[in-house]
Amino acid sequence: MIKAVMIINNHGKPRLVKFYKTVTNEDAQQSVIRKIFQQVAQRPDNFCNYLEGSITEWGEGTKLIYRHYATLYFVFAVDSQESDLGILDLIQVFVEALDKCFENVCELDLIFHSDRVHYVLDEMIMGGMVLETNIAAVLASVNDQNKLDSGSLRMQLPTHSATSHSMKSVVEGVF
Amino acid sequence: MFEKNLQDLVKGIRAHRRDTGDFISQAIQEIKQELKSVDPFVKAEAVRKLTYLQMLGYDISWAAFSVIEVMTSPRFNHKRIGYLAANQTFTEETEVILLATNHLKKEFASSDQYDIGLAINCLANIATPDLSRDLLGDASSLLSHAKPYVRKKALLVMYKVFMKYPQGLRLCFDRIREKLDDQDNGVVSCAVNIICELADKNPRNYLSLAPRFFKLLTTTSNNWMLIKVVKLLGSLVPEEPRLARKLLEPLATIIQNTQAKSLLYECVHTVTLALPFTKKDDGTESRAVPIVVKLCTDHLKQFIMDPDQNLKYLGLVGFVNLMASHPKSVLENREIVLGCLTDNDVTIRCRALELLAGMVTKRTLEGLVSKLLWHVQTSEGSYREDLLLKIMSMCSKDKYSFLTDFQWYSSVLVELCHLDYGSKLSTASIALANQLIDVTLRVEAVRPYLTNQMRLFLVDRFN
Repeated sequence: MIKAVMIINNHGKPRLVKFYKTVTNEDAQQSVIRKIFQQVAQRPDNFCNYLEGSITEWGEGTKLIYRHYATLYFVFAVDSQESDLGILDLIQVFVEALDKCFENVCELDLIFHSDRVHYVLDEMIMGGMVLETNIAAVLASVNDQNKLDSGSLRMQLPTHSATSHSMKSVVEGVF
Repeated sequence: MFEKNLQDLVKGIRAHRRDTGDFISQAIQEIKQELKSVDPFVKAEAVRKLTYLQMLGYDISWAAFSVIEVMTSPRFNHKRIGYLAANQTFTEETEVILLATNHLKKEFASSDQYDIGLAINCLANIATPDLSRDLLGDASSLLSHAKPYVRKKALLVMYKVFMKYPQGLRLCFDRIREKLDDQDNGVVSCAVNIICELADKNPRNYLSLAPRFFKLLTTTSNNWMLIKVVKLLGSLVPEEPRLARKLLEPLATIIQNTQAKSLLYECVHTVTLALPFTKKDDGTESRAVPIVVKLCTDHLKQFIMDPDQNLKYLGLVGFVNLMASHPKSVLENREIVLGCLTDNDVTIRCRALELLAGMVTKRTLEGLVSKLLWHVQTSEGSYREDLLLKIMSMCSKDKYSFLTDFQWYSSVLVELCHLDYGSKLSTASIALANQLIDVTLRVEAVRPYLTNQMRLFLVDRFN
């Protein structure tokens, strides 16, 4: 199981944070991000990409598998059910997918479009388990949904008060 | 009024490095106003901004109802924004989470696979016991959906649902098992994945599936799936030792034929975990074992000698496992492991140390400790702690059963006394003190020497 995926820059600023094993409040989450960054940033680039880190919020048995690209650390926190080399490959696929989606992706793209990064990740990993590893399949889903996305912005909806519409649909949904 | 969009917010934060906190507080006030707007575009963008702020550590749980509103929008763009916010922030404490139930039910019935996909993804992120119980039926019927895209997601979400609503497992497991025979390989892969996770928690319940997985071992060419199948079979071995012997040959075949290092390693790793279980009842080994052991040892040796640090690390991990059943094979490669002690990478040094400590014998103890002492001189921090503790634990193991010369050990202990331990009390320094006392008490021959040394040490320290 994958417990979390994070993209953190060289100064410790988070660019993408996805917890699959819940860490319930924002302070605890920031603490985990800091701990992960501290452990990973100490290591020069010629060290191996595996850290048997100790993250108290998750208990024993968490391994940090990471790759350092230019100004960004891509970190996957996993348990023993994941393949060490497989996850390294997966990080590579993730980065390549981002590269295709953003055209030569750089940190600024992630900063200004963090939601789009989530949409790509969601096609690869769901609920902490790997959903799809084939980059063509991932990109196809991402592109289809981007089309739905831009199409929906041109969508005309019946004109009555938007508030009452949304309240109505939510309340209707409950009953 | 000009509302900031997400890009404006990010630009603003970057421009206000000195007073970021104030700028963000102001932005949140604006967002609170925007959430009252009747314009769905304004509301959606406000939620989008809040999701970004949550990543920076701000609590946005007060906006949960607005998140639900945006999530239930008919516009795909807004829906996604709402779902993302919910996925990142809803917890079991979120009161409005129940409002999502019927919405998700409706979305599961959508004619668009991506609407369904978003809804399943949401459930996978926010599942609570109530949501899981209420949506179990609808989610599990998606396992038979026409689109493989939906079937895959439905398979994976069931794991979360079962975790929150355990009774669901018994009700739905058959449908999951059926997916092992799905037409689409991606779907089969996801089925293997979820069963792998379930088996990790409760291997006994999945033993009956072993034959099916053996078949997958030899019929599938998808490396990711194979890795999971291998892991799964590995986790079943402790429950059914006879599986261990059956596994050796198919795994050896894969090891010999695959180009993928990830799969190769997983097979070697699983072999090393299975080997202890392959002994027959009469204590002998089956004929296949020595060949397989040699195969694994050779590959692990190549990994350790590879310049790629990752392979080196994994090779050492493999050897640690192999020690448990075939220490001789690992012992033959002692020199290579010793070489890893000088590696710059502390992760590798720690694994090598663990391995070496497990390899020690009466004959090799003094030589090994001398080498480790040399390393102690040049190391620091927690790695030095590990070294010191390892030295002492090897020497004192089983009431000093590896030790032949207490004079020598006493001089080692004294040498360790003269290291700089700083002002903090460390585990190693406490252990050292206890060792000095213990050896002095047990071994009459060295008592005068050690007592004198300890006296000199104290006199020196407190003058």
